Amino acid sequence: MIEVKDITKKFGRKKVLNGVSFTANKGEITCLIGINGVGKTTILNAIMNLTPINSGEVLIDGEKIHKESYEKITFIPDAITMLPQMRIADAMQFMADFYQSWNQVRADELLSFFKLDPNDRISSLSKGNTAKVNMLLGLALDVDYLLMDEPFSGIDIFSREQIADVFTSHLVEDRGVVITTHEISDIEHLIDKAVILNDGVVLREFNAEDVRENEGKSIIDVMREVYQA
Amino acid sequence: MKNFLKLTNFELNRFSKIYITLIGLTLVMQTIGMILLSSSYMSDVEEQLAMGNSMEWITINLGTFSFSSLTRTFWFGGPIIIAIVTLLIYVFFIWYRDWFGKNTFIYRLLMIPTARINLFFAKASTIFLMVLGLISLQLVFILLENELLKILVSDAFREDQSLKQIIFNFDYMGVLYPNSIIQFFINYGIGFMAVFVIFTGILFERCYRLKGILFGILFAGVSLLIFISPILLQVTILNEFFYPIEIFILMAITGLVVISGSIWMSHYLLNKKIRV
Repeated sequence: MIEVKDITKKFGRKKVLNGVSFTANKGEITCLIGINGVGKTTILNAIMNLTPINSGEVLIDGEKIHKESYEKITFIPDAITMLPQMRIADAMQFMADFYQSWNQVRADELLSFFKLDPNDRISSLSKGNTAKVNMLLGLALDVDYLLMDEPFSGIDIFSREQIADVFTSHLVEDRGVVITTHEISDIEHLIDKAVILNDGVVLREFNAEDVRENEGKSIIDVMREVYQA
Repeated sequence: MKNFLKLTNFELNRFSKIYITLIGLTLVMQTIGMILLSSSYMSDVEEQLAMGNSMEWITINLGTFSFSSLTRTFWFGGPIIIAIVTLLIYVFFIWYRDWFGKNTFIYRLLMIPTARINLFFAKASTIFLMVLGLISLQLVFILLENELLKILVSDAFREDQSLKQIIFNFDYMGVLYPNSIIQFFINYGIGFMAVFVIFTGILFERCYRLKGILFGILFAGVSLLIFISPILLQVTILNEFFYPIEIFILMAITGLVVISGSIWMSHYLLNKKIRV
């Protein structure tokens, strides 16, 4: 389980996170929802120790993040994190060189699923294909937890559909996924748990299925209630 | 250790194009310089011979041609200066390029399952290997160019020099190729210590941005003070108390203190304060 406990983060005088707490379980898709600038990316960066936090703590399966944790949890940022001059094959080789959890069989499976050519240079790829390579490099790691920052942002409808299909496939099954978005409609049906953020705090954390069954509300209904309250 | 070696190899590959260009530029410029200067000298010689002057008269009045005739020109020193400036810029660029651009590679580097200080060591090792590589290649080039000189200028007008003579006939070559092993460790030790301190300064800037520049400068200032503290004490309070060898040992110790401090601070910054 990923436990985010009361984290605060300031940029200069501006408090971006003001005591954020939530949990994300293995085998579930947890979605951080909020408008742009609410601190969603900062939370993911903080979980991965890519930005310092002012207080609070993050635990992954009960432990603070350490070097071996990166074999257990990975982060797919909103832009690809490989050198543009690399070919897709070079990027996969880089991952294979440094990660014991790299699964080449799965990587090849994803290559054909996304219809990517390993000889293409990253710099020459379309926005949609770049997002798919970015996704591939994260999904082909045999990790327990996946963090994804706005995976659908700024890409065409067909690429969105392909990426959304990944969430219902065995590629994500049994893993804990934390995903951020400011456009919920694309993935509402995939989400197990929603965490609604505003002004650096968690406004509401709920199980999507429970709310659907008990209150007859969709995630968007709850968002409307929370933001318009 | 394995990840450190992989990272170093990766960093070396990233610099290889610029590096090969620098090597090529050095060899080409120095060779062209040797050809142009020696042929210009030989045409002067032939002109004098045609005028009926004796070979003795020519060597006295025109002088002989030696390797030093090349080393004091831009053809020889130019590419060395370009290489030094490029490597100095690269000391900064090796870090900053990972943050810049749309594809911020620093995310990937910081998420590699290895101690983050390995990034620091890999980048430092890359700089060191590149410097030592260029220095060694320059020695090979001098030997090759010296052989070329023997082909281009006839024995009677040529003053042959050994590698040692070529190096010590030229002032700044003595800095790059010190006369003793101790001097080698002093020159390159100070250079590499400076690289460590600059790296830590860069990390301060990357962690705290504008404020970090100030912290970085302060860190460099304190490091310099610690390093030269034996000399400062010697000329102020202690009134020439130490023998030169003792000063050397003390400065070796303060140098190690600065390097250790730099590594420790960088380790802390990379683990606790770094931001993408």
